[in-house]
Amino acid sequence: MLQKLISTLRSGDSHEIRSLAARLETTPEMVEAMLEHLQHIGLIKPFNICKDACTACPLAGGCQAPLVPHLLIHTSTSK
Amino acid sequence: MSDCHEVQTLSSTPLPKIEADAPLIALAGQPNMGKSTLFNLLTGLNQHVGNWPGKTVERKEGHFQLNGRPARLVDLPGTYSLTANSPEEVITREFILIEKPSVVVAVVSAANLERSLYLVAELSALDAPVVVALNMMDVAGQEGICVDTHILAAALGLPVVPMIASKAVGVRELLGVVESVIQGELIPSPHPPEVRADHQDVLRKIESLIAGYMPEGYPRSWVTLKLLEGDTEVTLNMKKALPPEIWEAVHEILRAHDDAFLAVASGRYDWIERMVRASVTRPKVGQIGLTGRLDRWAAHPFWGLLLLAGILGLVFWLTFTIGSPIQVWMDEQLIGSLIGLAEKALIDAPFWLRGSIVDGLIGGVGSVLTFLPILVIFFAAFAVLEDAGYMARAAYVMDNLMHLMGLHGKSFLPLFLGFGCNVPAIMGTRVIDSWPARLLTILIAPLVPCTARMAVVAFIAPAFFGHNATWVSWGLILLSLVALLFSGILLNLVIFKGQRSAFIMEMPLYHIPNIRTIGLLVWQRSLAFIRKAGTIILVMSLLVWVLSRLPDGNMDTSYLARIGLFIEPVGRWMGLDWRLMVALIASFPAKENAIATLGVLFGSSPESGLAGTLASSFSTASALSFLVVTMLFIPCMATVAVTKQETNSWGWTLLGVGLMLLLSMAAGTATYHLALLIGL
Repeated sequence: MLQKLISTLRSGDSHEIRSLAARLETTPEMVEAMLEHLQHIGLIKPFNICKDACTACPLAGGCQAPLVPHLLIHTSTSK
Repeated sequence: MSDCHEVQTLSSTPLPKIEADAPLIALAGQPNMGKSTLFNLLTGLNQHVGNWPGKTVERKEGHFQLNGRPARLVDLPGTYSLTANSPEEVITREFILIEKPSVVVAVVSAANLERSLYLVAELSALDAPVVVALNMMDVAGQEGICVDTHILAAALGLPVVPMIASKAVGVRELLGVVESVIQGELIPSPHPPEVRADHQDVLRKIESLIAGYMPEGYPRSWVTLKLLEGDTEVTLNMKKALPPEIWEAVHEILRAHDDAFLAVASGRYDWIERMVRASVTRPKVGQIGLTGRLDRWAAHPFWGLLLLAGILGLVFWLTFTIGSPIQVWMDEQLIGSLIGLAEKALIDAPFWLRGSIVDGLIGGVGSVLTFLPILVIFFAAFAVLEDAGYMARAAYVMDNLMHLMGLHGKSFLPLFLGFGCNVPAIMGTRVIDSWPARLLTILIAPLVPCTARMAVVAFIAPAFFGHNATWVSWGLILLSLVALLFSGILLNLVIFKGQRSAFIMEMPLYHIPNIRTIGLLVWQRSLAFIRKAGTIILVMSLLVWVLSRLPDGNMDTSYLARIGLFIEPVGRWMGLDWRLMVALIASFPAKENAIATLGVLFGSSPESGLAGTLASSFSTASALSFLVVTMLFIPCMATVAVTKQETNSWGWTLLGVGLMLLLSMAAGTATYHLALLIGL
């Protein structure tokens, strides 16, 4: 299942956890656990764009940027 | 489901002094599983906190009474797995392998077994007797999750004890099971996961090669798994322990299967899935079901886009239908009356004071403030969409579209932030590893229509296009996105060369928006806008007024007019006279200055507000061209500053500004002539 998840991610499209779970015929919790594992071993990394960007942003107080949590995927397969 | 919430309670009892031959119990678990709570509960004050030898990792050890005799308890560091990724993981596995505790209590969360069973999968491959403490049964119960502990225990081959450590519930039963294991009355016989089928031969080959060379206390099957996982410490130890020719053979196999770490993890997740499928029941109805049903449309690649376009149209329609009449009233009645009052009050005041207050302050800043109602509705509409959980879907369908069109996802996500403000969009490009890709993303980021630009559109569009303002605004966003898309495709072809990168979006569940949250968002954003009006826009309005009156008090011969007339020939291609050109230039410090400048130059009156004055002064073709140029014009000062900061180059910054200038002029010229052609 993990392999199937990685293959799906390698396709390069955007995914949503529930639709990934449906594709893998498992639960969103299972997908989240596997994503956390992939993050742990460095194959994917979190996308904390707002946090990082806003730290130094002079307009942070009045920013209208929507906060959308993401995970950023690396396509490399080796450690 | 008989054991769903069957847990025993424990009352605190005094603990005797520790004995030398006391049984050793280790608590293992991932962080935040309640391990330390259990440790504190059992040891109370009989604990010692220090460091593990040679490490800065905290070591917690204590003792407690187990069946009337003292037992030692060690709280192992919270670890995700037993691979040597961190000192905590090395400490945990070394302790289990070398110290050989009487029992390892694996603390897992009943509310998230998928996550917490990974460590159990690793522990069950060791020789240590493992007991599973199924903690957080209350949290699982609140979430409607039901774990059948009998089935889980049978599937794992390990004793499983349900408990709630935070309430000292189920602890007595856990100690009873631990005692039974120590006494040999209960013998755990784990069913550990297997490596994925296509790597089992490899596993067997390595196992046979390393047989007889194992360091003391290391199980062969576990060492083989760690070698396949690429565990640096085990690899190094085995290199030392094996004869060179055997190591060479092992190394050759490992090199040929460098993806084996995924096969091992894959086998563990298949195992976890089997365990969870067998023993866990989750609720399938309610909010998740509603979210799923809504997402069939909202996150659909085609219908989702249509829905997004529809929602954007609705937001504009609402903004113009409710906000514009208020804005017109404020413009005509409030600002007009204020100007009338100020003129009367300052009739004897010096020319410069009267002019700066009436035309500069009220005409400029006042005109900008009149579109606060429009912005409030705009902010409120987006706050509702954000708080309801829709904005994540908008990003998702947009990203899908961008992927379809070839734009690289890593570029799109920073760009998405640009809809609020271009500054964080440019800062957000830091997530792009490749410098050329990051640079080009920085250069195209200002093409994203930010809120400030949309504010200018919200003011001008209703004045010229009446009921069609919604369509015009919608079209202007589309135009910006098309420009962005073509730039992105170019970026993809030249820099990324078709390489693709996937994103996973964690979409929140839909929920009814919270009035307080929305109110707070609208308040913060409106306050930021007012602050801007009282600073940058005020200064610019006064500057524009001064330049429009010097040297002789006549606007047509003023310094501003001279600047405007100097660039007017270029403006004529786009149907813009010198005043509109000056308004565009004045938008550099802040986009809203375009309106403030027009307010200073045209003024406002009780008979006709600024919007009305503008509508009677310019053709519809000129207005449309002005809007198009505004959407694509050079970015604001803050965006230019952050571009310089992020590129560390004035050359790249000026190139970006120049490209946008050219693009806006070309689009403005084309729009003006096209509009004249169709008779606007």
